[in-house]
Amino acid sequence: MAMKKNDLKGKNILVTGATSGIGKGICIALLSQGARVIGIGRDESKVSDLSFEDNKFLFLPYDLNNIDGIEGLFQNNSVAQEKLDGLVLCAGKEETVPLSLYKGDKIKSLFNLNLFSGIELLRIFSKKKFSKDNSSVVFFSSVMGELGQPGKVGYCATKSAVLGVVNSASLELAKRKIRVNAVSPGVVATPMTKKLFSQLSDENVKQIEEMHPLGIGQIEDVVPTVLFLLSDDSKWITGQNIKIDGGYSIQ
Amino acid sequence: MTKEEFIAELAEEMEIETTVTAETNFQELDEWDSMGMMVLIGFVSEKFEVSLNAEDIAKLTTFESLIDKIGVDKFS
Repeated sequence: MAMKKNDLKGKNILVTGATSGIGKGICIALLSQGARVIGIGRDESKVSDLSFEDNKFLFLPYDLNNIDGIEGLFQNNSVAQEKLDGLVLCAGKEETVPLSLYKGDKIKSLFNLNLFSGIELLRIFSKKKFSKDNSSVVFFSSVMGELGQPGKVGYCATKSAVLGVVNSASLELAKRKIRVNAVSPGVVATPMTKKLFSQLSDENVKQIEEMHPLGIGQIEDVVPTVLFLLSDDSKWITGQNIKIDGGYSIQ
Repeated sequence: MTKEEFIAELAEEMEIETTVTAETNFQELDEWDSMGMMVLIGFVSEKFEVSLNAEDIAKLTTFESLIDKIGVDKFS
């Protein structure tokens, strides 16, 4: 059997949350492998350091909290020019809010970004005019999609809901051999985690670290699995939730 | 919001059953634990858009010191 491992050269991939953390790491890895990347994020200055060949990286500044405007992004000529081979949904927000303060508007706002923006992107992506057959979609859930922690009712609910979307959409899109999977990282050293840790006591941070038998993850621990799921090497894998968590969830 | 209203509302959110004043050291209350801290951080963030972290709170003692940290000018 001839193996061409994780061949992504020339593939056309859209990545949300492209300006920071894991999303940015995925963009860098894809560009280094010769893929064409469309990145969505709020702050273009955060990707000004990305180096790439001409026309390989297109950045679309956009706040995904605004669900109704997402379809318009796809009408952008340079997006519509070539059908997509992949969609990676990294944009998300983590927040710690005790249940007693979690009023409707606050939790709706988290669902808007962590869940509804992803469903809307998938809805548009799934149209034949925007995606190729055999393309691949990677959602970001979290170990919190199946587990819990105090103060995380919103985050856990959104990440759990993502898994429901993956289950259903993978069946719905199987006809076109479009695959839909989730990755569920444990705690990874990113700007988002840094913000979370700053709100906790040193003791709590240490506890979280100790809950990961292999220690806290790095961005490069998560990226290769996403590349694998985007590549044709995973063409018989769909509807799965792949945990990348240093052993966190096995305990 | 006056200081008194703030202390009363926060005590209510934290479900503190004893009477508290500006001079009460909240860290010494029976109700003070990690959930209490989460409620305090969430309440202050919601009402004043001030983000406190665990380190900030470790330095605080009384409700008065919390009010100073938030900024006295934010109270009426």
